[in-house]
Amino acid sequence: MSVLFIALPAAILLGASGMMACVYCIQNGQYDDLDTPSIRILVDEAETNSDSDKN
Amino acid sequence: MITLDRNPTELSSGGCGLEDEILTRPCVHCELPTPVRCDADPSRVFCCSGCKGAYELIHGWGLDSFYELRKNANSNRTALDSDESFDVFDDDEFLGPSKPILQADGWLHTRLAIIGLHCAACAWLIENVATRTPGWRSARVKMSNHSIQIVFDPNVLPLSEIARLLSRLGYELAPYVDGDDQAFQRQSRKLLTQIAIAGFCAANAMWIAVALYAGEATGLASSHREFLTFVGTTLGLTAVVIPGRTFFVGAIASLRTRTPHMDLPVALGLAVGSISGIVCLILGRGDVYFDSLAALVFLLLIGRWIQFHQQNRAAKAVDLLLRITPRHARRLGVDGAVSMVLADRLQHGDIVRVLAGDSVPADGIIIRGRSLLDRSLLTGESRHVRVKIGDSVEAGVVNLQSEFDFRVTAVGKDSRIGRVMQSVEEASASRTPVIQLADRIGGVFVIVVSILAAITFAWWSLTDWQLAASSATSLLIVACPCALALATPLAIAIALGRSANQKIYIRDGATLGQLAKPGMIWFDKTGTLTEGRPAASFVYGDEHAIAMADAVERECEHPIAQAIHGLAQRLRLSAEQQDVSLPVANVEVGIGGIVGQCDGHSVIVGNLDFAELHAVSLNSSIHQAAASCLEKGGSPLIIAVDGIGVTVLSIQDAIKPDAAETITRLTKSGWTVGVLSGDHPDIVNQVADQLGIDPSQCYGGLSPEEKLRHVKSTRANASDGTPSRRTTVMVGDGANDAAALAAADVGIAVRGGAEVSLRAAPAFIATGKLATLSLLFDASRRTSNLIHSAFVASLTYNLIAVGLAMTGRISPLLAAMLMPISSVTVLSLCLVWPIYKVRGEQR
Repeated sequence: MSVLFIALPAAILLGASGMMACVYCIQNGQYDDLDTPSIRILVDEAETNSDSDKN
Repeated sequence: MITLDRNPTELSSGGCGLEDEILTRPCVHCELPTPVRCDADPSRVFCCSGCKGAYELIHGWGLDSFYELRKNANSNRTALDSDESFDVFDDDEFLGPSKPILQADGWLHTRLAIIGLHCAACAWLIENVATRTPGWRSARVKMSNHSIQIVFDPNVLPLSEIARLLSRLGYELAPYVDGDDQAFQRQSRKLLTQIAIAGFCAANAMWIAVALYAGEATGLASSHREFLTFVGTTLGLTAVVIPGRTFFVGAIASLRTRTPHMDLPVALGLAVGSISGIVCLILGRGDVYFDSLAALVFLLLIGRWIQFHQQNRAAKAVDLLLRITPRHARRLGVDGAVSMVLADRLQHGDIVRVLAGDSVPADGIIIRGRSLLDRSLLTGESRHVRVKIGDSVEAGVVNLQSEFDFRVTAVGKDSRIGRVMQSVEEASASRTPVIQLADRIGGVFVIVVSILAAITFAWWSLTDWQLAASSATSLLIVACPCALALATPLAIAIALGRSANQKIYIRDGATLGQLAKPGMIWFDKTGTLTEGRPAASFVYGDEHAIAMADAVERECEHPIAQAIHGLAQRLRLSAEQQDVSLPVANVEVGIGGIVGQCDGHSVIVGNLDFAELHAVSLNSSIHQAAASCLEKGGSPLIIAVDGIGVTVLSIQDAIKPDAAETITRLTKSGWTVGVLSGDHPDIVNQVADQLGIDPSQCYGGLSPEEKLRHVKSTRANASDGTPSRRTTVMVGDGANDAAALAAADVGIAVRGGAEVSLRAAPAFIATGKLATLSLLFDASRRTSNLIHSAFVASLTYNLIAVGLAMTGRISPLLAAMLMPISSVTVLSLCLVWPIYKVRGEQR
């Protein structure tokens, strides 16, 4: 059971790194717009005309 | 595209076409009503050629699902801007901070502001158009700050072409300026970060707590127990110290200002929980409640975030409403050359040219030219105003007649409309009385709870010290009024946000509470119960005389002339529709009528007195028709050709189609309805009669001062006698009834400019429809029910739990588990409560 002394801090650290990633994303502006992405996912991906002479 | 194939007899009913709305098809593109009848092909109905163009563009790209998508998301119609020159978009100086930058991939990138976005369907459309247009690689729309990231190749497609394309779709581009959004963004990010930290702490503290409780049942080594307790307490304290310090800051501020505040009990609960947790940890016995502390912080922060977002949305809606100033201006250089600049870039002393049909971009004084201005957006004045050199013009007014130059005196926030925007913002930022009430209750609550906790502790410490500590702590935790603190502001914020979606702008949250209880409601007549502009209907005689009357009346701008023109058009009799020319000469406008020569005949159009004055011979059937007009509440208008009266028209201010239903609904729900009007008492009584309003509550011929006196006396009468004061509501025109609107408990402006309306009345219905008014009343009732339900739910919970805690029946552990449940109940109650029941009803 003494594995708890290692497992628990490890789990907390893992969770904390997840939280740090989340905070980083928030500060980076990924959560600024919560309205558009929710509908964008419903839209079928159209072929992108990455070449200007395509159409 | 507009097809008008109506039977003329249908139109003699006296309306001006609005009652036909139900029978007609909306425009496919913008969903505005059109005069096209139901039997037309619904997929080919347009209100104007602009919509048709946009539709064909969308259709041609095969993007028809835009319309489907738009139905799902609650959309508004797109505004079509007049065709402008887009060449400025190729000018780097004009673009300023939005200057396209060449990226490593060989494409130009730029971020622009986009105006006219309404919902996610717009974003979808624009992004799809981009991928289908050669030379335009991609577009990325951001709804939150209405901006668009464009990647394009200027050799294939210059930015001006993209701007033109988007303008055809109904969206307008402008250089992107970082502005007010930044404060919002910072605050939003801060709150989200706090939520993330609190969520992390809460989730981890919770599973540690589960391990501890499980260990309690199955046995746990004391070293493990201590370790788990230590980690859990650390997490709980982290949540309290880092994201939870907001509450302590609020509590300290409330102590300093000596006003009890909801942050106070929350902070006290958090402090007691933390301290007793630490004490237990050090002593190594008793339970610790760290998981509930973290969960408490987490849930309260989520509540704050929702409230913050809803408030921001409501503010944005008001902001959009007031965003009536143009974004571009034609600035005159020293050499007299005109250059297009952003209106924000204008400076004091600049000279700006305004073309006919444009709106004025800033406040200023005219230095060249004269024109006619439409100020209705600003002041609600329906009359157009003549201006000349030396007169002042304000941002947002529309130049109707001819171009003029003016010298700028104030721009942006300093302009008149800018100052109004600020005052609205300030008003919406101030706390509403309902929230203050909740704070007061919270203040009482915190004192009561503290006393009860002290009593509990004293009582139980007579027998058992540990039980006493445990009971007192349970009580403090379980009685934490976070549900109470959450309920009212959340309910109000949600109601305000949803109202803004319905185009009801509420400046003051207290309004909702006051409208929930029935009282006395006064209506203004002209423009509120009625359309507010005269409409002509055909009564008797020769229809073809109307065409001549129309031709003669075309020479003046009187509202009656417009009414006659409307009638001629509806009957398909106007000169253009008949494809004939009716030369008009020698037109003279007199009092009550007009005289002119048309197609070789002398034509007289006027009321009975005017006709008699000009010695028009009227036979008995003309007299009869005129008398029947009067009976029906209209004023007769005689058309005479060559001195002989041939036609009788009825001029009437038609009652709004939804007025009768609204009045009936209000009366049914217990409101006393009355009319205060400046119009002639007979006409007021006639309208009241048609709408089923008690004639003893209708007053005509009132001046604005008398209206004010009526409203004041209603308020005074309402306050004595009955214990709960009845609300006095005034519904009227923002401009003419401003005083009465402001004097009433609740003023609701249904018409008039945004400026005066929001200044005088706490609520403004932008649709101007009375049906929306009854929606507002329903919504107020539901919001009030919601607040009461949430109060009852959280208070019942608190009472039961406090009772149990005082009698020592629940352990702090159980209290900690019960605590978040009440918050979650209140939270979900607020979010699912149907404040506006049927969304599509008014479409």
